[in-house]
Amino acid sequence: MLSQRAAQQALRRLAVQRPAYRYIVPAAVTSSNALVSQRRLAATANLSEAQATDEILAKQRLSRPVSPHLSIYRPQITWYGSILNRITGSILSGGFYMFGALYLVAPYLGWHLETAVLAAAFAKWPLVVKFPLKAIVAWFFTYHSFNGVRHLMWDMASMISNKQVNQTGWAVVGLSTVAAVGLALL
Amino acid sequence: MASALRPAILRHALGAPASTRALTTSALPAFRAHHLAQRSPLALQRATFQTSTKRAILPALPQVIRGTVNDPVTVRDADPTHGSYHWTFERILSAGLIPITLAPFAAGSLSPVLDGALIGMIIVHSYIGFESIITDYLPKWRVPITRRILEWGNVLAVFVVGWGYYEFETNDVGLTEGIKRIWRAGSSSSSSSSSSSLTS
Repeated sequence: MLSQRAAQQALRRLAVQRPAYRYIVPAAVTSSNALVSQRRLAATANLSEAQATDEILAKQRLSRPVSPHLSIYRPQITWYGSILNRITGSILSGGFYMFGALYLVAPYLGWHLETAVLAAAFAKWPLVVKFPLKAIVAWFFTYHSFNGVRHLMWDMASMISNKQVNQTGWAVVGLSTVAAVGLALL
Repeated sequence: MASALRPAILRHALGAPASTRALTTSALPAFRAHHLAQRSPLALQRATFQTSTKRAILPALPQVIRGTVNDPVTVRDADPTHGSYHWTFERILSAGLIPITLAPFAAGSLSPVLDGALIGMIIVHSYIGFESIITDYLPKWRVPITRRILEWGNVLAVFVVGWGYYEFETNDVGLTEGIKRIWRAGSSSSSSSSSSSLTS
């Protein structure tokens, strides 16, 4: 009896063709009063796919942590020696370049950079200035030279273990210092 | 460990009311740290995670995402012209600099041809050195204009400096002899040589 009536009602509803959501949504929600009271307060925004993938990712990348600076590394002869090689080399080359370029423009500026003039001027300097200056310039030269030989040894894949790199690093420091003092005494 | 060197930040992160601080300072240091960690785990984590000073040396540029987030890296076909020949040339040049640098120490000075060769080798060696410094510290994607200016400036410098040393070699005493005379200027062992250079 009951099942018969249920089947009848279902048939009647199909005949009327009401939209499907009417069956799913409870009656309380479909009335206008209920809609106001059940408003969701979570903020949402429409995003295009490009915004979702690129803009948000770009914004996240901007707030990524910055990798720490050199100061976090323990001072070691390996990397100190390496950067010293570059520093000494660029100072030597910088000075070499500067003299070459200045020698070219000197006649137009009225400067005298001839060897004889420079030697005569340098000869008048006091020894306390000359000796340290010569020692420093000589050390840049000897350090870069000896460390260059060290680099060429590595290029032939020798002396390349951690221990050897440390030993040769200090050996280069010692050798270049002795050689620089020797050259400054000339 | 390193956070212990920055007590100011730790103190700030763990800033507690006077009453609890009085309690905690009287306890054993080890227990105190434990107690504080329990009290404000987030603040402690933040204070101890970053162990070095935060210095934004180069702030991040506006980020651009090319392709999708999960694209594979494009790998070019290996070719010796991409650097292998350059590498070999650099080593040959560097190795060649050794005898020509030692020669004036043994012989006193160099003949004009060898002196010119030494200058040329030093200029090319310097060009390669400056080029690698530019490549290492000035990425194209960050400073494209500066990079381009310096790369061309490096090429220009080769010619300007080369011209300068051409003038020096043709009008003066030569690089090795010149360095020797300036180096020994005024020293007692070679007062005669410096005076002779003055007259020449």
